[in-house]
Amino acid sequence: MQDQTDGGRVDDDQVDESVQAEEKKPGRVGPTALVGLAVAVVFGVTGGVAWWSATSSDDLSLAQERDAVLVSAKTEIAVLNTLDYRSVAKGLKAWQSASTGTLRDQFAGISTKDQGVLADQKKISKGKVVDAAVLEVDGDSATVLAAVEVTVTDGTDPSAEPVVKRNRFSADLARSGGTWKVANLQQVAVNVS
Amino acid sequence: MSRWVQGVVGLLAAAALAVGVVGWAQYVRQNASSSASNASIVDEKATARVQSAVAQGLEQVLSYTYSDPTTTQAAADRVLTGKAREEYDTLFATLKKEAPGQKLVLTARVTAAGVKQLSDDTASLLVFVDQSARRKGDEQAAVSAAQIAVEARRTGSTWTITGLDPL
Repeated sequence: MQDQTDGGRVDDDQVDESVQAEEKKPGRVGPTALVGLAVAVVFGVTGGVAWWSATSSDDLSLAQERDAVLVSAKTEIAVLNTLDYRSVAKGLKAWQSASTGTLRDQFAGISTKDQGVLADQKKISKGKVVDAAVLEVDGDSATVLAAVEVTVTDGTDPSAEPVVKRNRFSADLARSGGTWKVANLQQVAVNVS
Repeated sequence: MSRWVQGVVGLLAAAALAVGVVGWAQYVRQNASSSASNASIVDEKATARVQSAVAQGLEQVLSYTYSDPTTTQAAADRVLTGKAREEYDTLFATLKKEAPGQKLVLTARVTAAGVKQLSDDTASLLVFVDQSARRKGDEQAAVSAAQIAVEARRTGSTWTITGLDPL
């Protein structure tokens, strides 16, 4: 940075006190200042590297993706287990926005006649994801396990106790336009062998 | 020369300090995030290890043969600790009383196990278990499906189950 033996003269009184005290040759950049600079540079470089390593970390971005998958899956699986016979069209619209691909197409293709059948069943289903875990994240696809509680109320008999069904699901999710949507939702059946 | 050199040194130091402060702050923030502290899936090997350890352990403790209760008991000694053990013992006591008369045989199979949270020595999982029960005179075994939230802890290289919560 600067030759220490260089005979810089006092031409300024705004000199670092410590430098002045130590060096008795004000106006120079003394060793204290240089040490200070070195420490600051080391701190800056390591901080920069740490910052870069944190933001460019594959592990961290995978971890964040996994958590994003879980959040989407929980909401969407609950939606896909929810339907009110009084507002079937609205419910199906919610199913569509929670899904993607062929599953979404299937929901979009439910005919008015079938919607009528759903309405005639006079059931109110409310889905709740009790617990869920991400099984796999691979690029734009992911698999999630979910334990779901579906409360079914009979619309024709308001005094009847709601029936609670416990289901377990395996859901495939796909990333479309930055958000994770359910591409496939399957009950994990008991495996009798 | 001294004046501007001092200025440059001061500026450099200030800039370096600023980068350092921001950089380390970001580093600490990102690494302290809940995402970063959960190794599930990210650490593939560790995830697979706890998955199979818990699956295997659960299958052993949830399987039972009336003629050989000690196998299950031994598995419970190996696999279960803490609260999970206490709850299991309560369940097991009833089972042990009724099983011989019924000639009860339970066979458990884990169909899926997902790791929710994984740190160096603790894990929580969501496990789907099928359990078939066959009693004396049964034509066919009755199969039931269960969803269990499992807490596990690692000691050395072995994972033990510390919590079992049927959902």
